[in-house]
Amino acid sequence: MPAGRPGPAAQSARRPPPLLPLLLLCVLGAPRAGSGAHTAVISPQDPTLLIGSSLQATCSVHGDPSGATAEGLYWTLNGRRLAPELSRVLNASTLALALANLNGSRQQSGDNLVCHARDGSILAGSCLYVGLPPEKPFNISCWSKNMKDLTCRWTPGAHGETFLHTNYSLKYKLRWYGQDNTCEEYHTVGPHSCHIPKDLALFTPYEIWVEATNRLGSARSDVLTLDILDVVTTDPPPDVHVSRVGGLEDQLSVRWVSPPALKDFLFQAKYQIRYRVEDSVDWKVVDDVSNQTSCRLAGLKPGTVYFVQVRCNPFGIYGSKKAGIWSEWSHPTAASTPRSERPGPGGGACEPRGGEPSSGPVRRELKQFLGWLKKHAYCSNLSFRLYDQWRAWMQKSHKTRNQDEGILPSGRRGTTREFQTLSPGCEISRFILTGGCDPKHQPYCPGAGGVIPAIPGLVGPPPQGHPLQHPQDTETVEQLQTKGSLLWEVQQTPGQSATWWSVTPASGQSRG
Amino acid sequence: MSRREGSLEDPQADSTISLLPHLEAKIRQTHSLARLLTKYAEQLLQEYVQHQGDPFGLPGFSPPRLPVAGLSAPAPGHAGLPAPERLRLDAAALTALPPLLEVVRRHQAELNPRAPRLLRRLEDAARQARALGAAVEAVLAALGTETRGPRPEPAAAAAAAAAATGAGVFPAKVLGLRVCGLYREWVSRTEGDLGQLVPSGPA
Repeated sequence: MPAGRPGPAAQSARRPPPLLPLLLLCVLGAPRAGSGAHTAVISPQDPTLLIGSSLQATCSVHGDPSGATAEGLYWTLNGRRLAPELSRVLNASTLALALANLNGSRQQSGDNLVCHARDGSILAGSCLYVGLPPEKPFNISCWSKNMKDLTCRWTPGAHGETFLHTNYSLKYKLRWYGQDNTCEEYHTVGPHSCHIPKDLALFTPYEIWVEATNRLGSARSDVLTLDILDVVTTDPPPDVHVSRVGGLEDQLSVRWVSPPALKDFLFQAKYQIRYRVEDSVDWKVVDDVSNQTSCRLAGLKPGTVYFVQVRCNPFGIYGSKKAGIWSEWSHPTAASTPRSERPGPGGGACEPRGGEPSSGPVRRELKQFLGWLKKHAYCSNLSFRLYDQWRAWMQKSHKTRNQDEGILPSGRRGTTREFQTLSPGCEISRFILTGGCDPKHQPYCPGAGGVIPAIPGLVGPPPQGHPLQHPQDTETVEQLQTKGSLLWEVQQTPGQSATWWSVTPASGQSRG
Repeated sequence: MSRREGSLEDPQADSTISLLPHLEAKIRQTHSLARLLTKYAEQLLQEYVQHQGDPFGLPGFSPPRLPVAGLSAPAPGHAGLPAPERLRLDAAALTALPPLLEVVRRHQAELNPRAPRLLRRLEDAARQARALGAAVEAVLAALGTETRGPRPEPAAAAAAAAAATGAGVFPAKVLGLRVCGLYREWVSRTEGDLGQLVPSGPA
């Protein structure tokens, strides 16, 4: 007989089947079942049992007494014939069945236990519901879209496998007053979710919980208390546009619009950008893009298609101290970086020292680099000032270049020179870039690129952790004149001067 | 009517020549609908047995053919009846089916709440049976045949069916199988009966 905590259905399952519906069939002149003149009744009808419990059932045949006999009857469960030793004849018209250690029901509509006549025809059936009572639902999380509604999601206890249909009901009420309400729109964002579309109060906490019920019992989750303002999310930023930044082959400009649904609400928005190369599944995330609606991605590969998405977190709505909830990502927007037009590597080494310093390749590359720098720089009206502390030999040959003769004394870093007066030679220089940087210019996205790619002919990055040294401290001008290649790294801070550092890997030291 | 059963010719009506194309079109259209619904009815039956569990759907499964109040299967002699009589029986059956399908749908909503496709198919079947029944009656009217004869009250038939399911879940499953089976039989029968009326050749 049924065991375990009784649910509502389990109690009703113990009632004997009503005779009236059977009579109704007889009155209507129904032809009999396939076996001829017999019908039967299985008891219990539709019992509910715990997994592992036992069942004692009977099949009692009605009809023509001369033909109604328990001999020859047999049982099937879900279409499979049960072993004869599980059955025994109780009397002339009744066959009993004993099942032990029942497994969970195979289908939610119930396992089909059927009593057959000798010829295989079906005399009667009963559906068994074998399972577990529900466990406590947990992990309730809720969010409000634009403060207009509330959607909640939860995890069913015991991973949801009770083998019985389990009904979940999300309940909510205002914390200090009000009646219990029941959510009505289920499965909106998955099988265990519910959506409350309206009539929600702000600035006052709600209590939210989930009740799980099946034939074997019920369970209730812990109560979640929240204020709608603390769980606000919004639509993804609309109108995300990704475009090239002129001819810059390693940058893309990303622009978007603040979600319009929240335009009337006081809040601070922070954004995240993620991007990936077209044929990659790995996204790079740019975090902490706060309260701006555009930025530049840098350090990208030339001639490459990138997919970009943006999402928004509307935290601090009406002074809420809690972090908001990130919106969904915007639809991917794609753009490609221009192909690199620079010639490949293979030249530009400084000429060896010991004679008239060679100027041609280095001068050309330096010019190229500085032209590139001017083109790429954050500040469009940048002017170059060339700080040549170590161009002693140049000062001899170009009167107008440096105001100071020879190596400048320590502590005094010398004057700056215009780009146009760049001297030939493989010198190591420190460039100070000044000028009125227009703050309206699109900033770089935080952490997105920042190292200018090496100039063709120049080799790449300095050794890791290599200290920057002031050349004046340790070396003479002659030592600084060396062959090798140069890498330029820029650090830019909006509104402030930028400093460029040059490195000569051939000398093994970096210069600042 | 001419001797040829199912003929659309009416030599007494001079205006019939102008009506015939419309009637023919109506018959073709209803026949196409019946053919489509036969396919849907087969899908419904397969979906239904799938959700009841074995032995439903197993080869050789032969439950008691419980009678359904107000509706029986097409009689063996159905095909030999005159066309209007066949269509009249088709229409009567199609009219009786929707409330029975609704009873089955309500019961399956309790038994199989996580089977939305099954529930939707049952709901659609009720609507489609109603539509096909109305279309057949329209053809009968166009043929000048009345849809005569006593019909059981649909509400009473449904109530009887619902009461029968109170005997237990297994009988309710069997009844649902019976109703879905009857639906398939009658829609298929209607397709066949209309097919005999459709003139040969392109529409």
